Amino acid sequence: MLNQAILYTEGDLGTAAFIAVGIFLFVFIAISFHLLHETAAALLGAVTVFLVTYIWGTYNPALRLLTFEDAMAVVDWNVIALIMGMMIFMALLAETRVFKWLSFQMYKKAKGNAWLIVVALISLTGFASAFLNDVTAILLIAPLSIQIALAIGLHPFAIVIPEILASNIGGAATIIGDPPSTIVGSHINLSFGEYLVNMAPISIICMIALIGATWLIYRKEFSKTKKEVSPALIEQMESESQITGHATLKKALLIAALTMVGFFMTEKFSQMPVGVVAISGAAILIAWVRPDMSRTLREVDWSTLLFFIGLFIVVGAMEKTGVIYWLATRVAVLAGDSLHQASLLTLWISGIASGIVANIPFTVAALPVADYLTSILPGAVESKVIYWSLILGADFGGNATYLGSAPNIVAVGLLAQAGYRLSFGRFMRDGVPVTVLTLIIASVYLLLRY
Amino acid sequence: MGLILCATRGGEASLRTQNAAISLAKERGDELAFLYIVDLEFLNKTAAPIMVDVENELAELGNFLLIVAKERANEEGVKTQTLSRKGNVREEIKKAAVEINATLVVLGRPEEGSSAFQLSNLHTFADEIKDETGVEAHII
Repeated sequence: MLNQAILYTEGDLGTAAFIAVGIFLFVFIAISFHLLHETAAALLGAVTVFLVTYIWGTYNPALRLLTFEDAMAVVDWNVIALIMGMMIFMALLAETRVFKWLSFQMYKKAKGNAWLIVVALISLTGFASAFLNDVTAILLIAPLSIQIALAIGLHPFAIVIPEILASNIGGAATIIGDPPSTIVGSHINLSFGEYLVNMAPISIICMIALIGATWLIYRKEFSKTKKEVSPALIEQMESESQITGHATLKKALLIAALTMVGFFMTEKFSQMPVGVVAISGAAILIAWVRPDMSRTLREVDWSTLLFFIGLFIVVGAMEKTGVIYWLATRVAVLAGDSLHQASLLTLWISGIASGIVANIPFTVAALPVADYLTSILPGAVESKVIYWSLILGADFGGNATYLGSAPNIVAVGLLAQAGYRLSFGRFMRDGVPVTVLTLIIASVYLLLRY
Repeated sequence: MGLILCATRGGEASLRTQNAAISLAKERGDELAFLYIVDLEFLNKTAAPIMVDVENELAELGNFLLIVAKERANEEGVKTQTLSRKGNVREEIKKAAVEINATLVVLGRPEEGSSAFQLSNLHTFADEIKDETGVEAHII
């Protein structure tokens, strides 16, 4: 599981290690507190690693943090291929407006019952987040949800905040749902099926818990909604919720279904990486749909791919200079010899950290620590429990604050565009209890199952 | 008969501004123009893949909010038109004021920190509108 290109350095940390930590902290703080665009921060960090290695390292070989060759080996190309493949699917599927259509159908079927509408939209967001990127799910569902809330006289927070929480919880159900799931799953070469069998049950249980928590928090709001909605508003929502490109939708759904089958079949084909399946599905879809290629490629969000590449390089430098090994041995001391203690420690540390800082860089940095703990604790290799703990902590912990996860940030922006300012504290009022609840449920699940 | 331009969204602060603008239009016998501006700046805060036509999604959300505003004005018997733009909020308000030949721009006095305009900057912006477009701007 450990990357062969990277050798842990035992012993005291040298100057190179401190420089690597400094670069990582710069990237981490810049991302977490939005001092720089995430991609700019990660690329700047990666470039600094190279400049220190090749300029400073020429005069002092001990300061060679990470060579370009090492860097190519530490980048998880499976993650990059998986994200790129899914982006192409998402770009074509999003154009069809199928999720908006589904949201509006749910609104109609609920006949003005606010509680039913909220449950349906939370469930749809959770389901969509399991198969689409969680940010895409929020961008597709939240704008219409805000309109539905306003139409029935419900405060938009009562729908959109639970949707944000659902996107992070639902995203944990599959290896393609949330970035931490993809990063960890790819790192240990998990098949789609193995991931699903282990993580979908806890994701579904936590979705049910979220629905219960939503009722407790907003039950008074639900009883105050109005039944009569202006015809002009209904007409506006209906007009924007029409499926466009039926042919593209049919083709995209068929290829998506085949890609899902492919995800389940990877174990049978020499442990084919899921990234290969995703990029194959995307290539077949492009060939079949024949979209405007330059437009489709423009819609692939290259900044995300560069962000991941930069981040892998920055963390790779910490790994190479022994920082991660040093950190891992300290965590191992805290965990003792107990696998249960280590898994709970991993779950709660990653859960709390992901609420405070961005969960993607945290997950990339925590992975080598999880590798180390798995290698020294009896039973950890077979059960993979340390990795499951890291995934659940990073995915669920991202719900505590709106800085924790990308869909939170995007949804806060969408609400602001509708004139509703969701403050840090207001988000935490709902986010923290749900995070603690889901982490407690996850703790019980991990202890009982592994 | 004049034309009052009022930039709006949908929150409580916007509703208060809409109310004030509607009352003012009624009092002066003016027509009202509600403006919604799509601002995509928040997407720069994340490297998450944006695979959705967010501009279009927000334009549709804006249309919905404009219908709400228009219905509220119509209930008070005020004749209303609506406009939707994309870009920098300050610049788009000035451009729209010129394009529709507005006779007055009204700026809401929202809660602290909840607006693209901090309270301290509102007077400066009102002066800027007057200087650059020749249209009076009132803070309501």
